Amino acid sequence: MTTQITHDEILAAIKKVPLIPTSGTQLLQLANQKDHNLTDIINIIKCDAALTGYILKTVNSAAMSRGKEITSLDRAVSLVGEDMILSIVFSEAAAQLFHADLDGYAANQGDLWRHNLRSAIAAKKIAPYAKLEVNPDTAFTCGLMHDLGKAIISHYLEGTTEEMVAAVDHGDFKDYSVAEHEKIGFNHSEIGFELAKHWGLPEPLPSVIRYHHHPQEGNIELQPLLFVVHLADIVSMMTGSGTGADSMRHSIDPAYSDYIDLSRDDIARIIFEVEIEFNTIMSSLSGEGEPK
Amino acid sequence: MSNHNIVGVGGLAVSKNPAESIKTFALGSCVAVIMLHPPTRSVGMVHVALPDSAVARGSANDRPGYFADTGIPVLLKEMAKIGANSPGNKGMVVKLAGGAKVLDPNNIFNVGKRNILAIKKILWSLGMGAVAEDLGANFSRTVSVEVKTGRITISSPGKKDWQI
Repeated sequence: MTTQITHDEILAAIKKVPLIPTSGTQLLQLANQKDHNLTDIINIIKCDAALTGYILKTVNSAAMSRGKEITSLDRAVSLVGEDMILSIVFSEAAAQLFHADLDGYAANQGDLWRHNLRSAIAAKKIAPYAKLEVNPDTAFTCGLMHDLGKAIISHYLEGTTEEMVAAVDHGDFKDYSVAEHEKIGFNHSEIGFELAKHWGLPEPLPSVIRYHHHPQEGNIELQPLLFVVHLADIVSMMTGSGTGADSMRHSIDPAYSDYIDLSRDDIARIIFEVEIEFNTIMSSLSGEGEPK
Repeated sequence: MSNHNIVGVGGLAVSKNPAESIKTFALGSCVAVIMLHPPTRSVGMVHVALPDSAVARGSANDRPGYFADTGIPVLLKEMAKIGANSPGNKGMVVKLAGGAKVLDPNNIFNVGKRNILAIKKILWSLGMGAVAEDLGANFSRTVSVEVKTGRITISSPGKKDWQI
């Protein structure tokens, strides 16, 4: 059985989530700027001793450093690049959410992190195919954050999986996200949006989190980016990084073709390239392999 | 408890150790091609993600299991290495699972359907055909095969497990 939850309950749950460090918000803002470079990234991280330590520790793991100890942040950042740095930062800075177990979706351990990471990489690879310019680094961060609401909603969905799956498969609801909203009053996108506001994440992140399943409901100027993340999310589910019960139970909005110009070969190439980069990042972040 | 050989996306495994099983997680549009060789009680699985290796531009060798056109021949080769082969692939039992659907009127994102078609075409060209399949629909599948019995169990969150 499911019960409706109130807006106040959601806000109370969100307030219990630790805030992300200022450096995290600054990095997200920076990724949004078209002409940023690695020096800008280093300057932000330098001011956060905990983050600097964590990055050096991760980069010095055997897979990345190839046996030579790296002691400078500049060297570490230029060695592994922006995608890897952002992955390391958020894997650590919002660990409680990114590595949450999604029992409410009957997901495997680590599914949310793998899904968000694969979506981030896919969004960055799809961005160049947008008919109007979409910043690939913005697409990456939006992909990385788009499903964080699941870490919070999962608790309220516990024990509902069979009922939800049966209702969606029976056609009672258009997709899993509509089912969530109807059953408990909110879906993971709406809750993610509230979380993004609470954290003070810069636009377009809150909007993309909110509308990634139903991009046409978002603002007109955000349509290309919304569709990029919408498709990246679908690609991630298709290629083995879903989050349990809702995986493949979200529909694709075919209007994507108004904003993104993709052929069958393009999407196949993107899927393969995402696989390679996903595995590179996963193998470098310790303890995050295949589900067992 | 049996030991799971975990097959990742684009990976493959073969075994004739009756204490083992082979398992792959969360097939979306990907397809698990499972081969059973009754005379040697051998089992193999490849997790195919895309129909055609041409898109890999030469780097398909690193991950042949990723593509239908390279994955199926390489699975046969690995099966042969553990003694599971017969002239013309006769006696090889093939089963398929996965290939979930994305309803895309633009026909770009229906990768599951294209995977299934490519796999069937390649199997046919090698003198084989699937005797059982659980394909399509709108959910992800986790698939495991018990080497001892060749029994294939499919699970999906929110559903009771089933066998093919």
